Amino acid sequence: MARMKFLVDAERCIECNGCVTACKNENEVPWGVNRRRVVTVNDGVVGAEKSISVACMHCSDAPCMAVCPVDCFYRTEDGVVLHDKDLCIGCGYCFYACPFGAPQFPQAGAFGLRGKMDKCTFCAGGPEKDRSESEFKKYGRNRLAEGKLPACAEMCSTKALLGGDGDVVADIYRERVVRRGKGSEVWGWGTAYGPGKAGGQPPAKGA
Amino acid sequence: MEKPTRRLSRRNFIRSLGAGGAAAAAALVANRPGKDSTTENAAARNSRGYRESAHVRNYYRTAKV
Repeated sequence: MARMKFLVDAERCIECNGCVTACKNENEVPWGVNRRRVVTVNDGVVGAEKSISVACMHCSDAPCMAVCPVDCFYRTEDGVVLHDKDLCIGCGYCFYACPFGAPQFPQAGAFGLRGKMDKCTFCAGGPEKDRSESEFKKYGRNRLAEGKLPACAEMCSTKALLGGDGDVVADIYRERVVRRGKGSEVWGWGTAYGPGKAGGQPPAKGA
Repeated sequence: MEKPTRRLSRRNFIRSLGAGGAAAAAALVANRPGKDSTTENAAARNSRGYRESAHVRNYYRTAKV
């Protein structure tokens, strides 16, 4: 069974925000909610500036799922983390738990009253009937059911944002790292594998 | 006058050949397996999630560039 994953290649991202626009347009995301955004670090520093596209990473061990008091999150067979807006009470716990800032809350009224949480669905809709009007209204387009991948990944002009079967995406990225001949700069690599273990390092001369 | 029974039987034989051929052709068309696109559309209707469709394979191909 395929497990859906996003992977951001910071070496390729040109901060065009095409992914952000594609997501907003495809899912008709309401004003004030950004399911995806581009973050730039070391802005203006020559040679050190990197941009990454951030949204829900559909964690294998999702903290949002762990803290939700009404248990509105669920994981599909494809590993996509989704939630049921009919159960969500808009408490905001998931927002505090998420390391990526993925959960978004539309303003539902005066005094900062929050509406039901909204986040990236990996273009996989929600618990409603596939490709139904109610599903689109609450969760956006269900591209996975149409045999497609998330609009953001498909729209990315430099293919910096990869999305799809985790095994395939990892293979594509591995090929890139080997071709570049230097360590991978994938975001979170050091946390996951420790420093000094970047893939694709050419062997030392004389070794 | 002698009845042309042989001629008639030959006609019947040729007619039966034609009818049999048409029936065989119809059976072949009916039993032919569906095209790939038809199969894919049927899978699309039944599937709820990810599948490696031609569209997805094309995306993976472009991402390898």
